Amino acid sequence: MKRPVVIKERVWVLRDEQGMAIDDIDTDQIYHNAHLAITELEKMGQFALGNLPGWEDFPQKAKPGDILIVGRNFGAGSSRQQAVDCFRSLGIALIIGESFGAIYKRNAVNSGFPLLICPGIISQPGKIDSGNILEVNLSAGEVYNHTTGKKIEGGERFSQVQMDVYQAGNLFEYEKTILT
Amino acid sequence: MGFTFAEKILAKKSGRDKAAAGEIVTVTPDRILSHDNAAAISRIFQKLGRNKVVNPDKIVIILDHCVPAANEKYALNHKEIREFVTEQGIKGFYDVGTGICHQVLPERGYAFPGLLILGSDSHTTTYGAFGAFATGIGRSEAAVLWATDHLWLRVPETYRIEVEGTFPRWVSAKDLILYIIGELGADGALYKAVEFCGPTIEKMSIAGRMVLCNMAVEMGAKIGYVPPDEKTFHWLGPRVRENYEVITSDPDAAYERVIHYKVSNLLPQIACPHQVDNVKAVYEVSGTKIHQALIGTCTNGRMDDLEVAASVLKGKRIAPGVRLLVFPASLEVYREAWVKGDLLQLAEAGAIIMNPGCGPCLGAHEGVLAPGEVCLSTANRNFRGRMGCRDASIYLASPATVAASALKGHITDVQSL
Repeated sequence: MKRPVVIKERVWVLRDEQGMAIDDIDTDQIYHNAHLAITELEKMGQFALGNLPGWEDFPQKAKPGDILIVGRNFGAGSSRQQAVDCFRSLGIALIIGESFGAIYKRNAVNSGFPLLICPGIISQPGKIDSGNILEVNLSAGEVYNHTTGKKIEGGERFSQVQMDVYQAGNLFEYEKTILT
Repeated sequence: MGFTFAEKILAKKSGRDKAAAGEIVTVTPDRILSHDNAAAISRIFQKLGRNKVVNPDKIVIILDHCVPAANEKYALNHKEIREFVTEQGIKGFYDVGTGICHQVLPERGYAFPGLLILGSDSHTTTYGAFGAFATGIGRSEAAVLWATDHLWLRVPETYRIEVEGTFPRWVSAKDLILYIIGELGADGALYKAVEFCGPTIEKMSIAGRMVLCNMAVEMGAKIGYVPPDEKTFHWLGPRVRENYEVITSDPDAAYERVIHYKVSNLLPQIACPHQVDNVKAVYEVSGTKIHQALIGTCTNGRMDDLEVAASVLKGKRIAPGVRLLVFPASLEVYREAWVKGDLLQLAEAGAIIMNPGCGPCLGAHEGVLAPGEVCLSTANRNFRGRMGCRDASIYLASPATVAASALKGHITDVQSL
């Protein structure tokens, strides 16, 4: 195993001002169409969540290695890959969500960027808050909150293909391994 | 137990005897579509260290997102794409002015039953209307496909949506799909294959079926699909030279859900800001002032749509203070609507007739919004900021509703005219 299967870091939980999970965050809120002409990965991070009310300053707050926790259907909408790349650009280590838009999930998995599905992680109260330290085992789907000292149930382990692409680095490296 | 369309076609395209929902298969697609983002894809492709695409005949590139180029950056992208297709011997290239990819691909005979079509655009689902398995992918995936001709896919579970009844006057496929998305939610069919069938779908035009499959992705679906029939074969007749195999679900296929709808009493529907599943009956928001009205896009820029808009607006004049933009979906549609007189009727009613293309739907150019403005559009997305400005509001409805509302200057139930 070349890349880490256990990730232990601080989390940001995508809630609104009322403390509710924000579901169905679309790719225009994650990475607005005004910045589509940018092609360099390192320039994309500054616009991450820039069109999501209350989260415009996320790029200034986030540190490399942080984990992002999101609600249902995160990344709905267009096939825009910048909506994944902006988090890679910031060095975000992992996104855990209740569910993800289908193309968004593929874009992340095939970029070798780890996404973990964990239904209920935000919508069920009391499990997690911004600033908590989380330990996540990607291959077992285990999520442990060090701050509360409690395990969070429901995490889905990486599928075989997801783990293979993650370990290969990205889709192209993975395709080379299965073609040879 | 039989198999669904999705299971059967993905087994075939991965060289297996069978495939079941939930399995991962490695497929070889029949078509790989991209548009203006072919510039970014070609840059990723070049970094992969391959000189030539594996199969140039599978690749179709149609410039539509920002055509003609709005600025130097877009112009440079288009130039790079023209050079790339020449260098790679890609014959399936359609330059600025041909139309929106999701209209041009079927028109030019690239979409038909039994094909696996992967496109670097989320509305690639549109070709399910012709019995293809068609879905959106990302740009890195497209680059890897150019380089390897392989991609892994998860075989989706299937929802079967059965529709019966006759649409009331002025109510159409757009109202139906908005209603369904409102009922099921923006993630109501996440990762699922959605089959549309039943007497209403059998009677529905090809254009209407394209609307359903186009917007299936707005409830998270992997694909939309309509079983091909005589209407499909007739439409494809003059366009497709190859023989094709029709693949349909077995009568005893295992569906995850079967959902029934009746349209006989369906009212005109509208998606309100800022989510596509925020759907209401039009009368509930009628009176809301609009500044811009848009008829076009890959959802509703076809002849059916321009005809119904022209029939609402013929001999009348849109309200002062409203900008009505009309984008025929393709050159073919433009010509037909020109010859039949629809474009003249719309122009005389005050519409601005634009060139075929995506227009301002994704906020690039040709009618972006200002803060505080309201746009009523026939498009498929009303996300906050979608049409360029974050402080503007977008409503989505049928061409009939948009035309009626442009006439009155505010959101109007077309049945009340």
